Amino acid sequence: MTESLMNLWHPIASSDDVQYRHVFQGQLLGREFAVWRADDDFVNVWENRCLHRGVRLSIGQNEGLELRCRYHGWRYASRSAGCTYIPAHPADAPARTICNRTFPSVERYGLIWSGEDPVGEPPQIAALEDSETLLLRSIVVNAPIKLVLGHLANYRFSITADPDNVATTSIDYQDERSLSLTATSDGEESTVVFFVQPVDSNRSVIRGLLSSSPSGTERLPTLRHHSMELSRLRDTDELEALDGPSLEPMVATIEQDPVALSEVVTSSGRKAALRVQVLRKWTTAEGVVGLELESIGKPLPTHQPGAHIDVHLPNGLVRQYSLTNAPGEGSLYRIGVKLEPDSRGGSACLHETVKEGDVLAISEPRNNFPLRRDTVKTILIAGGIGVTPLLAMAQTLRSNNLDYELHYFAQTDGHLAFPEVLHELGDAVVLRLGLSPDETSRALTVLLAGYKPAMHIYVCGPGPMLEATRRIASGADWPDEAVHFEYFQNTIEVDSSSSFEVSLARSALTLEVPSGKTILEVLRDNGIALISSCEQGACGTCEVAVIEGEPEHQDVYLNDSEKLAGQRIMTCVSRAKSSRLVLDI
Amino acid sequence: MRFLADQGICTNAAILDLWHPLAPSSEIQVGVVRELPLLGETVSCLSTAPDVYRAWRTDPATPVGTVCEPSPATEGLPILDRYGYLWTSLGVPNGDLFDIPEYDELDRRNIHAATIGVHCSAPRAIENFLDMGHFPYVHTGVLGIEPHTEVVDYDVHIDVETNDLWATNCLFFQPVSATTSAGGAMVGYTYRVPHPYCTLLYKTSPLDESRMDVIGLFVRSVGPDRIEAHMILSLLDDSSTESFIRRFQQAIFAEDKPILENQHPKLLPLDPRAETPVRSDRLAIAYRRWLSDLGVTYGVIREE
Amino acid sequence: MIKLYDYILSVNCYKQRLMMSILDVPFESVPVDFYPGWEHKGEEFKKINPLGHIPVIDDDGFMLRDAHAILIYLASKYDPSGLWYPTSNPELIGETSQWMLFAEGTTNTASAARLYVNLGYEFDIEACRVGAHRLFRVLDEHLWFREQENLDWICSGGHPTVADIAIFPDVILSEEGGIARIDYPALRRWTDRVKRIPGFEPMPGIFPAGDARPLSHEGEVNA
Repeated sequence: MTESLMNLWHPIASSDDVQYRHVFQGQLLGREFAVWRADDDFVNVWENRCLHRGVRLSIGQNEGLELRCRYHGWRYASRSAGCTYIPAHPADAPARTICNRTFPSVERYGLIWSGEDPVGEPPQIAALEDSETLLLRSIVVNAPIKLVLGHLANYRFSITADPDNVATTSIDYQDERSLSLTATSDGEESTVVFFVQPVDSNRSVIRGLLSSSPSGTERLPTLRHHSMELSRLRDTDELEALDGPSLEPMVATIEQDPVALSEVVTSSGRKAALRVQVLRKWTTAEGVVGLELESIGKPLPTHQPGAHIDVHLPNGLVRQYSLTNAPGEGSLYRIGVKLEPDSRGGSACLHETVKEGDVLAISEPRNNFPLRRDTVKTILIAGGIGVTPLLAMAQTLRSNNLDYELHYFAQTDGHLAFPEVLHELGDAVVLRLGLSPDETSRALTVLLAGYKPAMHIYVCGPGPMLEATRRIASGADWPDEAVHFEYFQNTIEVDSSSSFEVSLARSALTLEVPSGKTILEVLRDNGIALISSCEQGACGTCEVAVIEGEPEHQDVYLNDSEKLAGQRIMTCVSRAKSSRLVLDI
Repeated sequence: MRFLADQGICTNAAILDLWHPLAPSSEIQVGVVRELPLLGETVSCLSTAPDVYRAWRTDPATPVGTVCEPSPATEGLPILDRYGYLWTSLGVPNGDLFDIPEYDELDRRNIHAATIGVHCSAPRAIENFLDMGHFPYVHTGVLGIEPHTEVVDYDVHIDVETNDLWATNCLFFQPVSATTSAGGAMVGYTYRVPHPYCTLLYKTSPLDESRMDVIGLFVRSVGPDRIEAHMILSLLDDSSTESFIRRFQQAIFAEDKPILENQHPKLLPLDPRAETPVRSDRLAIAYRRWLSDLGVTYGVIREE
Repeated sequence: MIKLYDYILSVNCYKQRLMMSILDVPFESVPVDFYPGWEHKGEEFKKINPLGHIPVIDDDGFMLRDAHAILIYLASKYDPSGLWYPTSNPELIGETSQWMLFAEGTTNTASAARLYVNLGYEFDIEACRVGAHRLFRVLDEHLWFREQENLDWICSGGHPTVADIAIFPDVILSEEGGIARIDYPALRRWTDRVKRIPGFEPMPGIFPAGDARPLSHEGEVNA
């Protein structure tokens, strides 16, 4: 019986239970849920357990667009439940695999529906459609669902909320977890639909809906009446349950760490794991189109501020674009594409050929430009289309109540991309329009005077602007690690001076691992799907055996003698001392 | 005090053959039997004369409310009076208890801060004690404060002779006051785990840079998922009252309690893929592997 | 300045610290070596409270014991709005008194269970837990109906009273005594609201609530 309950949708909370900036604690079939409403009204249903150290997320903090775990302050994005920030490592982008387990959520009839492994959709009840229903107070009963339903079949109530005037009742229908009763009295009718939520083997929640809500002054008395009658029923249920057999609590399975998503190789040889559809395309500024990309099928992986995606264009080229998304804005990816005059066809393709409804292949987001949140003040400096990653950063900083400024250098007003987002950000945005290179340098000099510890700069734009910023910042005593930059080019220069080779003994393949890329990344780029988890050298998941060569261990997993023996390597962080490693894969 | 000892009698030799802390020796009065749950069983102990103690397994057939008295037939348990606590073993302890040289230094103040009951497993409590990343979030304004949340890399090693697990060169930013993140400084910590259920923290003494203050957590595992945690300090402090020091420690521990009691599963999973560590969890990762290598099965979930 | 005979982990002492923080009343915390010193049970302390309990306050010579009595005194003396202990409204003051007595119940069940688990006090732990759940059920239903009338607090005046302060700590620390609150969603929402009262201060074991959702640009009122 439990198996069939596993595949159904069940109500686990009322809509009113799930208030803004609150985390509701629920349970279904032995599994606890943390249920929280984001500021954009999306209702998240997550396993009530942070995958770091197993602490309940229901004692965490709903920060509007992200949930913060109470133990170490890890932030998880609404919708995807992916980790976007780990305070102990403020300069690192959390691995994409760090993602809490989510369950589906649907709001219907004033209730939040979810399920262990639900099929189809939540039930559609004719009596509850097209009318103003009244949700009764939900009643927790320490009794099994079968017992509760059994007694509910005999539930009696008064249409006029008068306990001395109980109506005749008939059962409209009944199934393994719900039933509908219609009461008739003096020509009046009232239908109540009950859903019984199976919390555990000996605990249930009765959630009742009246198909028509009584008028204003009758509303409260009706609610009180049903609350009282159902409480009496509950007391009977619980007494009977005490006499019944002692039941083992249901035990929910906790999944092992999720494995890195398997990837699809495209004709260009690079990874394109996702298919998205162009939801919207519009001109957001002079020479810049905005694109909103919606997932087809699977939910989109978490984006972090500063992240970019590879877009595999229909003409075969691959280009990288930064995501402008706000935190928790996980149902689409938003990018801005500037038409480059000397483009080899990348931006031109997106401007001219791609249209709404088209399907594109993209990679999961990668983040080489992660945002620190342990700052006393952040200065964001945007040059032209370089504003895109900084918009995501600004929205995150604002959502976290962190002090920041966004200085946007552009030719003219008409060149400002995503003006609606800029408007939202309000006074934090400082526009610098039509400045010459000298004027820009002077503006930057003024802006970058007055460094204080824990201030950080993020700059993105054309090469000369980045150079100017770095030079001025250095001159104004900004430490190197406080100045973060992303070159807005599509190719990353590879420094082959510290590169090494890996030979794969079982695949007859030899690959070069350049500086700036990990063994894991190179293997994946070449179609070898190694599993990983933390991607920080801590968990041991990505371990591979070494047959030949001397590893350079950067992990914190192997102990001293294991490192010395040199027969194992963590491919996500470690490198080679010798010029070649032979790996047993 | 009478507790209902939980199910889960320990049969794990790696744990049984160790010394376990019962209670502060000062709380065991002459002629008064105390019954204390330990590893799923109950131990009775009393003092027969000042500084003389006896301990024996409580006969489970003893009716509730009566006190179990030792008889010639009752198996006596080995006893140690060290660091202000009475220790016993339900197995065959291999040698002496771990050594804390600082404790015997003449100018030390050795303080038992409290014994607090927590509904969590001993290894979870130990692992929490070894963690710094939670300081700004759980001990806000006292041991850490935003935005100083970074945990820089530190070193971990196992002492070849004693098999003690050590973490050295640990650094974390400690605020000066609860109300501001300005001021404050990096503080150095050294952690030591000489026993699966006992751990020590060494901090440079503010009074003498060349010496360390010691804070210890000695856990009596009542059942696999329930503990009584003893907190001990060995300090050079000469100005704070004992009462102040105790309150300070109790407040810190009380901040950890709701975290410990909201962790699931309660037993510590030893499979490195059961939970997601990051680099700052280096000591926790080593602690879990160390428990695995020792053959500990009580209070943990072994690898698949 | 008020002297509060205080212990950092005492729920009843915390009720006073919380009230005085909200009312912005400065006070001096006089620590009593509650555990393991049992100072409050000693002969010396009998001069301060012959019943051997804390909290006790000494307001410039005026001594008062008993957590709930002290709350009433503090509200009466230091709250210019008169809302925390609303004597001018007979129904409200009746309600407040009713729920202060309810708080005696939550203290003797939920907070007793906490002392049993934390410090090994000899109580009938099962009776404490059953008793706490019985009271939480009643309070949860009560708060749910308050929400139906857009009222956020225990009494019906639309503002918090000393009753909210008296009950909150017993409720929020109930898990330490093994009393979970998963079955009481209205109670859980109310504890978030109490945490957002201006001047709120936690104690060890209580986590602060984050900010409430800001008003949108259009000025719509949010929860």
